Amino acid sequence: MTNAFAIHATGLVKNFGGKRVVDGVDVAVPRGAIYGVLGPNGAGKTTTLRMLLGIIEPDGGHRTLLGHTHPRDASDRVGYLPEERGLYPGMRARDAIAFMGALRGLDLKAGRKRAVTLMEGAGLGHAADTRIRKLSKGMAQFVQLLGSVVHQPELLVLDEPFSGLDPVNQERLETLILAERDRGATIVMSTHVMAHAERLCDRLTIIAGGRHRFEGTVAEARGLLPMRAHYVPDRDEPGLAAYLPDGAVHQRDGWHFPVPDGGVEAALRRLIDGGHGIAGLSIERPGLHDAFVRIVGASALDATQEISA
Amino acid sequence: MSVRSNRIVRQTLTIARRDFVATVFTPTFLLFLLSPIIMLSFGLVGAGGATSMATNAADKAQIVAIVAPERQAAMRATDARLRKLFGRSDQPPVLTFETPGTTPATQARAVFAGAGPDTTAALYGDLAAPTILYGAQGRGDSRYLAELSEGTLRAAASGARPLSAATFTPIARERASSGGHSQAAFFSVFGIFFLSLLLSGQAVGTMAEERNNKVIEILAAAVPLEAVFFGKLLGMFGSAVLFVGFWGTLASQLTAILPASMAGGLGEIGPAIGLPLFVPLFFAYFAMAYMLLGAVFLGVGAQATTPRELQMLSLPITIVQVLMFSLALRAAGGADNWVTRFAEIFPFSSPFAMAAHAANFPHVWPHLLALAWQALWVGIAITIGARAFRRGVLQSGSGSWFKRRVATVGEALSGTPTP
Repeated sequence: MTNAFAIHATGLVKNFGGKRVVDGVDVAVPRGAIYGVLGPNGAGKTTTLRMLLGIIEPDGGHRTLLGHTHPRDASDRVGYLPEERGLYPGMRARDAIAFMGALRGLDLKAGRKRAVTLMEGAGLGHAADTRIRKLSKGMAQFVQLLGSVVHQPELLVLDEPFSGLDPVNQERLETLILAERDRGATIVMSTHVMAHAERLCDRLTIIAGGRHRFEGTVAEARGLLPMRAHYVPDRDEPGLAAYLPDGAVHQRDGWHFPVPDGGVEAALRRLIDGGHGIAGLSIERPGLHDAFVRIVGASALDATQEISA
Repeated sequence: MSVRSNRIVRQTLTIARRDFVATVFTPTFLLFLLSPIIMLSFGLVGAGGATSMATNAADKAQIVAIVAPERQAAMRATDARLRKLFGRSDQPPVLTFETPGTTPATQARAVFAGAGPDTTAALYGDLAAPTILYGAQGRGDSRYLAELSEGTLRAAASGARPLSAATFTPIARERASSGGHSQAAFFSVFGIFFLSLLLSGQAVGTMAEERNNKVIEILAAAVPLEAVFFGKLLGMFGSAVLFVGFWGTLASQLTAILPASMAGGLGEIGPAIGLPLFVPLFFAYFAMAYMLLGAVFLGVGAQATTPRELQMLSLPITIVQVLMFSLALRAAGGADNWVTRFAEIFPFSSPFAMAAHAANFPHVWPHLLALAWQALWVGIAITIGARAFRRGVLQSGSGSWFKRRVATVGEALSGTPTP
């Protein structure tokens, strides 16, 4: 079964200084998927990724990475962009990329050639011979990202890849991630920016307070919340709320309410019968952001803050 | 070799290569390479100053002989003969004569208080039983004046013509002398100490660099930390080999450059075990000393979070290193006592002391034992250092092995999980 998964982990546990920061997390990343690891700050995402990659050893649970129970045995087939970016400032950009490839088994000479090609592809060809210390932060971050893919890994693990990037570089990165997926790579990325996850991820897991809260597709996460209706009356009149289903909230752009089990027809009929007009009506699926807040919940956010404090 | 071992070797060499290139191809490496010249210059300036002070003091001193004028020529001739026994820096002060007045005793005391050069010793009275006065620095000079009296009388008794005419022929030794062995031992200990001190410091510097650059996680993700650790040591070691190679080549050519008299002196310095064996042994012991100290420095250095902490942590290690150096210097004398044995066996002084052993004694087998023993300790130091490195750098520890075992036993006994 685990061969269908690039990563398969169950019950991962990690304690730091007597505190349990990861508490029984399960992860199953299908091969070829873009998989999101979501969670608020301090949720345990980075620690989970580090355990999956074998950078640190879990205190409990089991994991396989590309079919290996010792993740290090597959290290040449993995690319990794850590949350804390780091490059040698004195190195030239292409040498830095080639060095990261060499650590993963790519010949240095071939790495340098490939680095130039990758940089040209990302629109950074002019900076191939520039020393890292002379690059802008965003460019240096991109160089590091290219270093994590230069050896064409089967599995690419990106920890908060979008943080610190401007919108142009964020779009570049999205393009690169999709290109890697099209090449056949499996991609795992952690983020707390829902828009990226929503656009890119095939499946995701949500971690909060070191615990596993959800695992499934983006649609399944959004499906946890009922559809919402957005009703715009032709004129604002007092007492309108009485005609709307429970939970209706008035906002500047109209009324919002969860779609009842039987649909919105009954509510519409009540409005029309009551003499209220309809200037607009739309049914909206809740976004991943809403689903995330619902899944994580205020208590988990509190617990997260406690752990990170 | 298995695939895993091959991979680790390759990754280790990749890191070593990066560190080597990053160290060697920098202007600071030139400074490092030339540091012996800088040290030597400081030494020469210091020594020059000291010599100058000593010369000035000697120029300003005199010994005084208050003797009858008819004795003065013979005494001057004896003085000239006796002075040949002294080296240039050990010469007694200039001999000055005074003709005895009515009270030579008062006259002799007066020369100590007079203006002009400082009198260190003064002689008066009959040369067969002279009285010699001397000041605080003049004890040796007073003995010289006594010898001068004796020599003058003997010359007078046997006639002016020398009784013996010696022929001097300098001989260059074919083998190093015992003193030369000791000197070779000293240079070995000092060389290893100096190099390992410089390089261990550099290893700590690269550690600080990794932490500042935050590259360590990239390395740790791709490569086992032990390999990162060993790669760093190897990279530094490569630059050390370059350093030793450079200065070794220069030193080996030194005898060709120096004047024959000095080259002959250097020729007496040599290891008892023979140069062909000594060179690889020196490298091996240097490697062991460096790996041991480097492992300690890297392991401890990884615990520091700021350069200031790094300096604070380095200081006690450096002090221990100096202690090991002092211990090994005792062993360099070649004495067969417990201090020497201890220095040769104690892991952190063993490489120094055994290098000195190779310079002092011709036996080969103790080195095979010593290298095996030191290799064992290098393994232990690297393992412990790498663990400390992992804990310090990735903050990934979850209590010590001991604590975890205690917790497990606690859980088993109480039936409840330990938090």
